[in-house]
Amino acid sequence: MISVSHLTKRYRGVAAVDDVSFEVERGEVVGFLGPNGAGKTTTMRILAGYVAATGGRVLVAGYDVVTQSLDVRRRIGYLPETAPLYSEMRVDEYLRYRARIKRVPARRLRSAVAGVKERCGLHQMGREVIGRLSRGFRQRVGLADALVHDPDLLILDEPTLGLDPNQNRQVRNLIGELAPHHTILLCSHFLSEVEKTCDRVLIIQQGRIVASDTPDRLKETLGGGNRVRAHIKGPAADVEKKLNVLPHVQRVDIRRNEPWNECLIESAREVDLRPNVFELVVRNGWGLRELSLANRSLEDVYLGLTLGDGAADRRPES
Amino acid sequence: MRMLLTLWRREMSAYFLSPIAYVVLVFFLIVMGLSFWTLITLLVQGPSSSGVMRVLLGESLFFWLALLLVAPVLTMRLFAEEKKTGTIETLLTAPVSDVKIVWAKYLAALAFYIILWAPTTVYAVLLARFSPETAPIDWGSMTATYIGVGLVGAFYISVGLFTSAITRNQMVAAMVCFSVLCAMFFAGFIPYFARTPWIQEAGRYVSSVMHMMEFSRGVVDTRPLVFYLTGTLLMLFCTVKVIESRYWKA
Repeated sequence: MISVSHLTKRYRGVAAVDDVSFEVERGEVVGFLGPNGAGKTTTMRILAGYVAATGGRVLVAGYDVVTQSLDVRRRIGYLPETAPLYSEMRVDEYLRYRARIKRVPARRLRSAVAGVKERCGLHQMGREVIGRLSRGFRQRVGLADALVHDPDLLILDEPTLGLDPNQNRQVRNLIGELAPHHTILLCSHFLSEVEKTCDRVLIIQQGRIVASDTPDRLKETLGGGNRVRAHIKGPAADVEKKLNVLPHVQRVDIRRNEPWNECLIESAREVDLRPNVFELVVRNGWGLRELSLANRSLEDVYLGLTLGDGAADRRPES
Repeated sequence: MRMLLTLWRREMSAYFLSPIAYVVLVFFLIVMGLSFWTLITLLVQGPSSSGVMRVLLGESLFFWLALLLVAPVLTMRLFAEEKKTGTIETLLTAPVSDVKIVWAKYLAALAFYIILWAPTTVYAVLLARFSPETAPIDWGSMTATYIGVGLVGAFYISVGLFTSAITRNQMVAAMVCFSVLCAMFFAGFIPYFARTPWIQEAGRYVSSVMHMMEFSRGVVDTRPLVFYLTGTLLMLFCTVKVIESRYWKA
């Protein structure tokens, strides 16, 4: 659906996007992550045909975004970051206008607008003036606009920005519903959201793609081994020594919190240390109040990649 | 064509959904009303040798004041506002060509300009109806005057559209447009005091004041016709290029 090869965009000699290549298959939901200023929005704008690249080639559904821009634009629904809307128009007016300029045939106009309003939870808002809507509703109008012509590819820049947790979940469910029929490129800072909705994650850092894989595999390959969290009551030195000599243990971190030792025990990926730790505690007659897996989240992986090596470890444990 | 109409309708509705349309309409009608009143007081003093349309439009200070102010005010938001609010991004990523967008905005401003002038035709009808003289109105010169008003307006609006496209600040767009129009307007007086013949000649070619005087006498010369039409097309072309420049801007 999307084929990006050696994409480069320079602003005043500084590369905002630097030799980026990636592919997105039809029907995939891809999360696009990266710190502010990493080149996400620039990449999305190039895909949507708003700006041209300095170098490289981008194909969307087989069409070149530069030479066949109108063909590309007809097939994408693009929601820019702040969901810009004409604030003086009413919701219905706006959606009808947008549907028309996106070439929805006149006979399907009414049903198309009604359909996206239903999907985005706007069915009662048709008469409202956009300028008087709350942020969450404006965001939904933007999303409805992106969907109104039933595009093959959806490019969503921060679709849940400014939404409350309920609306957030609604939008996430909506994206989930859209997923089987649409290809979605989702840019978001909410990593848990990306983890739940996306088949694959692209992480961009300083204009370069630094990781591209499924959330699970990213955690596996970049998140290190299994981690077990155990709160053990016993002599600190003894606990540390005995944990360290357990088979498969690679590293032990202990934080004293009298009278408890809060331990973080790392092992190879395929080993689950919890039975061994439990057995050790029982054998030594120590106390135990917590024993759980504490694997790194996508957020840890992300922070590790974008802040530099080891950053994930420096984070306070969650 | 249908696409152009859709875009044009949205621009027109934007005019009437914002207070600016009504403010401009009221301001314009007050100014033109004053102009008409000046004319009546002149006519009351006795049969005038100067043509009615010349007094009403061509040589009236009110007329030029209105024209120089109206074009920037009508055009300032066309692109600047969209840039400011970011809607330009959704507009330009819709499957519509930049050329159509520029034309739609231009034609909407022009249509509003025509709506602005439409009520002034009533003045002519009033004069014809109530004047004791047999024919104070020369319909030919009146038609020519309105052609002139249309041509000058078409060009001024294209200048305004262009200045709106180069900035994201409406006030800046309006001020730049007003300055450019004023510069052109005052350049129109060069033929009156320049001594070098070719400067005089060049001045005559671009002088809107002189053009309007000609039109109000009922003379439709092809030179100003070509001047305004090509000027308008040039400004529209430049506007399209400015909009396209987002593409390549580095």
